[in-house]
Amino acid sequence: MTALVAALFVVALAAPWVVRSIGRNAFVLLSVPLFAALCWLLATRRGLDLIHWVPSYNLNLAFRLDALSLLMAALVTGVGGLVVLYCSRYFEAGEEGLPRFAGYFLAFAASMLGLVLADDLVLLYVFWELTTVFSYLLIGQDGGRLEARRSALQALLVTTFGGLVMLLGLVMLSTVAETWRLSVIVTQPPRGPEVTAALVLILVGALSKSAILPFSVWLPSAMTAPTPVSAYLHAAAMVKAGVYLVARLSPAFHDVAAWRVTAMALGALTMVLAGWRALRETDLKLVLAYGTVSQLGFLTTLVATGTREAALAGVALLLAHALFKSTLFLVTGIIDHATGTRDLRRLTGLRRELPVPFWASVLAAASMAGLPPLLGFVAKEAAFTAYTHDGTTATVTLAALVAGSVLTFAYSARYLWGAFAPKPGAEPREVHRPGPLFLAAPVVLSLAGLVAGLVAGPLNAALTPYARTFPEGDRPVEGLALWHGVGVPLALTLLVIAAGTGLFLAREPVARLGARLALADGQEVYRDLLYRVDRAALQITGYTQRGSLPSYLGVILVTAIVLVTGALLLGSPWPPAIAHVWDAPAQLVPAGFVIVGAALALRARRRLTTVVLVGVTGYGTAMLFVLHGAPDLALTQFLVETLSLVIFILVLRRLPVHFTEKLSPVRRVTHSVIAVAVGVVVVVVGVLATGARSLPPVSVVFPKTVADLHEHNIISALIVEIRSWDTLGESAVLGIAAAGLTSLIFLRHRAPRHLPDPAAETSPRNVWAWSPEGDEEEPPPEWSQAKADRPERPWLRGSETLADERRSLIFEVVARLVFPPIILLSLYLLFSAGSSPGGGFAAAIVAGFGLVIRYLAGGRYELSEAAPVGPGLLIGLGLALSCLTGLAGLLFGGSVLTLGVWEGAVPLLGKVHLSSSLFFDLGVYLLVTGLVLDILRSLGAGIDGQVEREARPGERREETVV
Amino acid sequence: MSTLLAAPPGTIPAPTIEYTQLAPMMLVFGAAIVGVLVEAFAPRHLRSAVHVPLTLLSLAGAFALTILLAVDGTRNVAAMGAVAVDGPSLFIHGTILVLAFVSVLLFNERLQFVSQAASVPGSTEEEDSLEEGAVQTEVYPLALFAIGGMLLFSAANDLLAMFVGLEVMSLPLYLLCGLARRRRLLSQEAAVKYFLLGAFSSAFFLYGMALIYGFAGSVDLAKINDALGSASGRDTLLYVGAALLGVGLLFKIGAAPFQAWKPDVYQGAPTPITALMASGTLVAAFGAVLRVFWVALGNLDWDWRPVMWGVAILTMVVGAILAITQTDIKRMLAYSSIAHAGFLLTGVIATGGPAQNEEALSGILFYLVAYGFTTVGAFAVVTMVRDAGGEAGHLSRWAGLGKRSPLLAGVFAFFLLAFAGIPLTSGFFGKYAVFAAAVSGGATPLVIVGVVSSAIAAFFYVRVIVLMFFSDPAPDGPTVDVSSMGTAAVVAVAAAATVVLGVLPQPVLDLADAAAHSLFVR
Repeated sequence: MTALVAALFVVALAAPWVVRSIGRNAFVLLSVPLFAALCWLLATRRGLDLIHWVPSYNLNLAFRLDALSLLMAALVTGVGGLVVLYCSRYFEAGEEGLPRFAGYFLAFAASMLGLVLADDLVLLYVFWELTTVFSYLLIGQDGGRLEARRSALQALLVTTFGGLVMLLGLVMLSTVAETWRLSVIVTQPPRGPEVTAALVLILVGALSKSAILPFSVWLPSAMTAPTPVSAYLHAAAMVKAGVYLVARLSPAFHDVAAWRVTAMALGALTMVLAGWRALRETDLKLVLAYGTVSQLGFLTTLVATGTREAALAGVALLLAHALFKSTLFLVTGIIDHATGTRDLRRLTGLRRELPVPFWASVLAAASMAGLPPLLGFVAKEAAFTAYTHDGTTATVTLAALVAGSVLTFAYSARYLWGAFAPKPGAEPREVHRPGPLFLAAPVVLSLAGLVAGLVAGPLNAALTPYARTFPEGDRPVEGLALWHGVGVPLALTLLVIAAGTGLFLAREPVARLGARLALADGQEVYRDLLYRVDRAALQITGYTQRGSLPSYLGVILVTAIVLVTGALLLGSPWPPAIAHVWDAPAQLVPAGFVIVGAALALRARRRLTTVVLVGVTGYGTAMLFVLHGAPDLALTQFLVETLSLVIFILVLRRLPVHFTEKLSPVRRVTHSVIAVAVGVVVVVVGVLATGARSLPPVSVVFPKTVADLHEHNIISALIVEIRSWDTLGESAVLGIAAAGLTSLIFLRHRAPRHLPDPAAETSPRNVWAWSPEGDEEEPPPEWSQAKADRPERPWLRGSETLADERRSLIFEVVARLVFPPIILLSLYLLFSAGSSPGGGFAAAIVAGFGLVIRYLAGGRYELSEAAPVGPGLLIGLGLALSCLTGLAGLLFGGSVLTLGVWEGAVPLLGKVHLSSSLFFDLGVYLLVTGLVLDILRSLGAGIDGQVEREARPGERREETVV
Repeated sequence: MSTLLAAPPGTIPAPTIEYTQLAPMMLVFGAAIVGVLVEAFAPRHLRSAVHVPLTLLSLAGAFALTILLAVDGTRNVAAMGAVAVDGPSLFIHGTILVLAFVSVLLFNERLQFVSQAASVPGSTEEEDSLEEGAVQTEVYPLALFAIGGMLLFSAANDLLAMFVGLEVMSLPLYLLCGLARRRRLLSQEAAVKYFLLGAFSSAFFLYGMALIYGFAGSVDLAKINDALGSASGRDTLLYVGAALLGVGLLFKIGAAPFQAWKPDVYQGAPTPITALMASGTLVAAFGAVLRVFWVALGNLDWDWRPVMWGVAILTMVVGAILAITQTDIKRMLAYSSIAHAGFLLTGVIATGGPAQNEEALSGILFYLVAYGFTTVGAFAVVTMVRDAGGEAGHLSRWAGLGKRSPLLAGVFAFFLLAFAGIPLTSGFFGKYAVFAAAVSGGATPLVIVGVVSSAIAAFFYVRVIVLMFFSDPAPDGPTVDVSSMGTAAVVAVAAAATVVLGVLPQPVLDLADAAAHSLFVR
């Protein structure tokens, strides 16, 4: 069987090529494999194939042939073969897309065969989804039309959804049963609440495939497919898959109420409602489509009931339905082909024009309506018999089935009348007579329905093995027969005929009534649902994905708050936190500054204000360090804070003054709340973390360690000795960062380092000019005065290049005077680090401030005057010095970064403590000075240069990114 | 730190480094450093010619070394407990290296990467560099660093090494995201967003790590797990620390509510980088998630599981629903990646006894391989569909692609079906593996949510397929650029992997089972 299915897939692969080379007659050839498969199946009758596929998951390629599979497989191959034959005349020669169609069609047949033969749940699911995909491709065959696309999509969505739900059910079922083998599960059915849940999920899949309410919407709209597709997929094969699955599992699970009652109730409801709907459709195919939905409901009810009689009736009806419904579809195709319409109001007098299709239809419609001696009659009699015993459920079901049969009778008659009867109002249309090959399939199928009805006995024998998988009832099964004798079923059939005839005669009022009573159109519900999903997705996207960094960050922060708060609650009782809130009341003052600064920073609208306020929090922290007795930390913190402020201001020159985004009050409040909440949570966690200390603090260990090293300043010892490796690494990182900064700003142009020649006529005096050069406006008189008073030798040489309105004599003088003391202070901090606050890092930043002052007073050329060396040189020297000190340790002390200490008295200075760490620190000093210089040169002077270039006329303006 | 202080300099015992076991990682990092030197010293016109073979060979070499290690069978903790060499990490390394190799094949610096990253978009410098034909060949060493980071991140056996791996992986990626040749402002915005949000999440990770250290007195994953039983009275630190670690890790895998960066970044980044992130980063991040939550916090699973349930559900639903409205192909794939992260999380949750853990782990590993290949393939197709202005990102431009280039559109449709988890694609067995593990781990409701969101996502994929095959192509529609052999090879490899894993998954499942068999070393 594995080979059979595989062979059909191979045929499907070859089909496009065959059709392309010999045209539509290739379909005749392509029907041969299907008929051959039918013969093989009928000859084999029983069998089992087992190949291990994915042993990890215990998945097998398991195929099994038994009575039910044989019936389904025979339908799939037999009806399939006939429909393929029919295709050879249905399509025009050379129609576009025909080769593809042939491939899809045969692949579908192969998948369907695999589906009904599969004995492994996953394999079943695989084929199940394959039929979905191929049916989608077949329905959407006429891809150019919007309608075809839509209905194909709809069919795919509904059945894929059902399929996935079913997969879940299958997985659950097999987990409980501990096997994937369908036959094993059916013979040893598991029980339990999980199984019930699994069965409901499986039922969703089965019902959606078989278009049972509430999933019936897709089948009628799938009628946009070419007629052979409708005849095969939507009458004989695919829609039966759901019924097949219910039939397959019912022997094991019919006693699970959720399974039986749901399936029976929905089936009966579908049978009645869809039958009612079929009475008012005017498109022949839609009449048949709703009729199919109705019959599928009938079938579902029968196979879910769980008695031998109902099961036998179910499989008999399954066969009957496949035969008569595909006949009717194929005839509809012929009519469509011959007249160009399927509207039953416009067709007239075809009985004479198309006698063979007419008689085939009569046989099929009679079988559908349940008239003797056709198979439909036999099946329906058996069905009625199955429910004539006592019991409320049986009686209610019987009533629904009889009502549904009445409707079936009425729409069968309406179909015949609509397709073939002469109608007074309609114009006769020109008719193309179909050839024998076109007629073969419907004729064979309709005759098969007749023959099967006449030979009910052998059919009974073939189908009974399936019925026997159900438990024996309290009365003997009557079996399928043409004549059961006079009884309730026969009376009911007469009732059906009478009432159905009445309904048919009153067809027009009935159609009007039906249109008026229509509560909800499935299509509209479906469209509404899709629309709502789209809307919801759009709204959620608009809400969550606004592309704004603050809102993304807000979500992350809020989640973090929630998680951490949850963790805090979970972790209670908390460890005893620090008992006191402050060490000294004086701490409250800087703490207050920090809090107020942070709060105001939230509200500020100018960038600069925000930066300054954030700076306030830093200075407040530094004050706290001071109060806590950590002057070294405080010094560094003050210096770094100031340096950051300077850098910020240098950069902010290029940005708009105000934050560009206008915040609504709501968002402003939201942001503030989030910010405060994060702050509170961080504080709480911090307090708890401090309270959870279990080891002695470093303040116990450090002094001794440092004393061992003959040092006095713990911080500087920490930086240059204990963690000198870290410092070395950080120095390298700092150097790299400086290089990166430079390369970002000076992409192409290096800032000129030397003063422009003062003798040159074109000597610029335009640094920091308020308006671009070339502006003819006279400077105000006091500036002209200042120009006249210019001394022979300026206080700052670079200031010569400043625009006049930017010069300030006082500032220049102060800068000139203050610079040497600042450098001296910085050197003091460097050399005193061993015993008092300071160190290379802090010292370098102080030196940097000297440079900042010179730059601010004298402009960018003054910077090069103040520091005639390049930052690269300083950084390189600094790094080299640090590294060499480390290597010297290797040379003298045996390992890298070993310390050497020398103490002695030096005249004038007193006792001097020298250690190799001083050289190390000197390296840090040079490096950091270089970094500050680099920042000033790039973010200060470099940006000045850019501004000037942009202001200069005749050069292309650069666009700035904000 | 305390050890550094306690021992005077010179008496610290020299760490032992198992060079053989760390060889794959070292090869990648070494090649990255050589790549930097090439940038510094090789003449401009030769750089590309050196970088491409260097990068590919080092990745292939590292893969070969990983195989050797796997065959060799040693499973222990290397580099003083910093790096785990065990079944899962070797499997994940192999996966990352193959996916990275494939992603690097997509690099085409003249087509996808900016000519000069530092030039302002639209400026004269940019025009000049374009005229010069400059290319930013740094992408190769940067990518190698990122890949090395992925290897370390996923195999780290202590939180410190994990953090280093996280940063080494992330920093080059932040940069690479901003290097797209077209739509540079979008690309730079993506890079800034990714960087800022990523920095925040790293900070959370670091903070959490500090608190965990406060709780356990160690950053070693196994020691943290040991401390769960013994250290009492400091539970708050543990819970808060675990929550913050979780924030950092979940951000990296793009789980909701930390998913917001993914669409923006995936869209803005150069597509090969997106492919690398969507495959390699995701795999590495899941490796890390498993190590933290299974090894370090393994005995805490009763506490983190409810949160993870919520996260997984939210991730799957958000990923599926938001994908529906997307009109950009890369954004859509980003949401798909979010949803898949959610599916994978259902596997992470499915802990239990050793047998259960093995099943779940093996499922996750298989899923990662399957998804990784499919997603790289999908992004490779994205790079091939081009407009005058670069890649045709808008979905409406893809209308009728099936008529214009049936093969490519067919392959793409196949990838989409694999994302949807249709049988006979690798996606089916991937989903099957984690969902089955989740069901047997007692997370059936989660699986139901997973299936429903797969159905919702399938809805969207199917719409794209319909658009490609059943709409008429626009007259000025995009062209399909098949000039790059590398890209074509990637598409072919990814399609083959998706088919083979969907039809004959057993060999890879065997590998995953074997890798998961001994679980994580501690």
